[in-house]
Amino acid sequence: MNQVLVTGLNGLSYAFILFLVAAGFSLTFGVMGVLNLAHGALFMLGAYIGLAVVGRLDAFWFGVVVAGLGLAAIGFALYYFFLRHLYNHPPEQGVLTIGIALVVANIVLWIWGPFAQMGLTPPRLTGVIHVGDLAFPIYRVFIVGVGLVVLGVLWWMQDKTRWGAIIRAGMDNKDMTVSLGINYGLVSTLVFVFGIALAGAAGFLGTPILGAYPSMGDNLLLLTLVVVIVGGTGYIQGTMLGALIIGVLDTFGKAYFPSAALFTSYVIFVIVLLVRPSGLIGRKVF
Amino acid sequence: MDEPKGDTIVGEAANEPTTESVPGDAQVAQGQAAAPVKRARGSLLRAVLPIIILGVVLLVLPTFIPSFLQSLVTKMMIFSIFAMSMNILWGYANIPTFGHAVFFGAGGYAAGILIFHAGISNFWLNLVLAVLFAAAVAALLGFPAFRVYGVGAGNTNPIYFLLVTLAFGEIAARVAIWARSLTGGSTGMAGIPYPDLGMGLKMTPSRYYYLVFIFAVVCIYLMYRIENSHYGYGLRGIHDNERRMQALGYNTWLYKYTSWVIAGAFGGVAGVLFAYFGGVMTPNSLAMQTSEIGFMAVILGGATLFAGPIVGVVLYVGIEYLASLYLPDRWPLILGAMFVAVIMLMRQGLGPMLVDVWRRLIRGSS
Repeated sequence: MNQVLVTGLNGLSYAFILFLVAAGFSLTFGVMGVLNLAHGALFMLGAYIGLAVVGRLDAFWFGVVVAGLGLAAIGFALYYFFLRHLYNHPPEQGVLTIGIALVVANIVLWIWGPFAQMGLTPPRLTGVIHVGDLAFPIYRVFIVGVGLVVLGVLWWMQDKTRWGAIIRAGMDNKDMTVSLGINYGLVSTLVFVFGIALAGAAGFLGTPILGAYPSMGDNLLLLTLVVVIVGGTGYIQGTMLGALIIGVLDTFGKAYFPSAALFTSYVIFVIVLLVRPSGLIGRKVF
Repeated sequence: MDEPKGDTIVGEAANEPTTESVPGDAQVAQGQAAAPVKRARGSLLRAVLPIIILGVVLLVLPTFIPSFLQSLVTKMMIFSIFAMSMNILWGYANIPTFGHAVFFGAGGYAAGILIFHAGISNFWLNLVLAVLFAAAVAALLGFPAFRVYGVGAGNTNPIYFLLVTLAFGEIAARVAIWARSLTGGSTGMAGIPYPDLGMGLKMTPSRYYYLVFIFAVVCIYLMYRIENSHYGYGLRGIHDNERRMQALGYNTWLYKYTSWVIAGAFGGVAGVLFAYFGGVMTPNSLAMQTSEIGFMAVILGGATLFAGPIVGVVLYVGIEYLASLYLPDRWPLILGAMFVAVIMLMRQGLGPMLVDVWRRLIRGSS
């Protein structure tokens, strides 16, 4: 029983890490329709920037802010100079952002070298929580909390604000949205920048668990794709559901069937594609 | 070289409803699929002369160039088959995929596994089995992949399909790493010998060059016939306006699915040739790193042109070689910058530009 509880808690915290990895992508891809395959690389860049700040100043929260702001600047450049001109050209967006991902990964390798770095948890978040005779790291609880806050903010933004409505309208028909006198360019740029900044801050917050290494981007991109496709695009709650399913089932698979566990999430991925190609909660647009 | 035979097919098929392109619905398409038709209507000389020149140059080239250049040209020919098979999907059927390397790697790994684990040393048997395996992989993956085609914003928006094919490639690479006893794990499979043709011929690099040359000619000819057949025009029609093709009674799913399997088989041929050429298969040959070569070549050379990918491959392999000499550590940076530059500055590709130059040359000289 205790074993099941610990595995469940681990799965839950892994699910929220997956959600933080995928949230920025889900926002820019699912809600805006922009295919940003550099997401994994930018997440990694956020981790490295945050680690560099913490290495100099030993200020954890400042690291989070700098990682977020730095990536916001990069996201703005990426959208304003490149992706803005490729509206509704997904293959081109994909090829462009693959190029960006290669550039970012190589620059990170150039500056910080090929070795993996681990983030340290800030003192206040170090240690374990005891539940009965079980110990659970505080930092993982903290990640779950951050994930819940991000989920709440994105959900509110998507469903309750005018901006969310504008973005959803622009995804369906940009010309119509613009002709109604809405400054779609401004709103879409800001939402994209917000998504990338989220990825950067999450990248640094994830370093005590995921670490940071130059080839991390590809691994994270694959995880993101699996989560987003299983959950369905267009709604942030779909991404949360996808992350929960993949995170919990993957952790249980690793605990109970270690030999076959490598492919748990991929098997789920293929089954979802065959049974519900638009994802579990997805906008069905055929 | 008897490519002009295809012209009769073009003549018949030019009456297909697909040549009239409908503005509006096909905004996603990055060019007009009708362009190759116009080219084929031109004089025989214009279309065939460059092919003959290229063929003759490639035939006599090995006697003049050092062996490292010879292997570079061999590599270019192998990846030409790969990129052109990818262009059946990207350029003709409007199925942009990021996972074409799965079939390349499947063919190559199958050839290696047949040699090392099944003990089949006969090249031809090996080739047939490996290509069948690649086609079978394509046939299997086609079912989940085409379930999502069109999901997402807009009607025929392939954004979701791109994600799924990208994930297929990465998952295939992880399967290859996991199945260590068969595939050699993350270090891959090394020491694949030069093929035994079963005719008492000892295989040397220059003989392998000619073998690849023959394969390239045959594969490219077959792809030309496929793309200029009734079936190929059906694919172009789907590229321009899938709904109209459906209204005309075409089973567009079947067209796209079969083109996916055909492209997978040709990708498998390239993979087999590559496995024998380098002697090594690594998980990277299933993943993005190899697919990148394909779509880089397609976009750089021009997806609207039949021979465009060849131009792209020559440039790609050439630049990769130069980078490996002078800046080996910065190659991903250069490649990434190339992607950005190609997408932002010349989305039509270099191929159509070269065709223009060639037309002017012909007109100027006659």
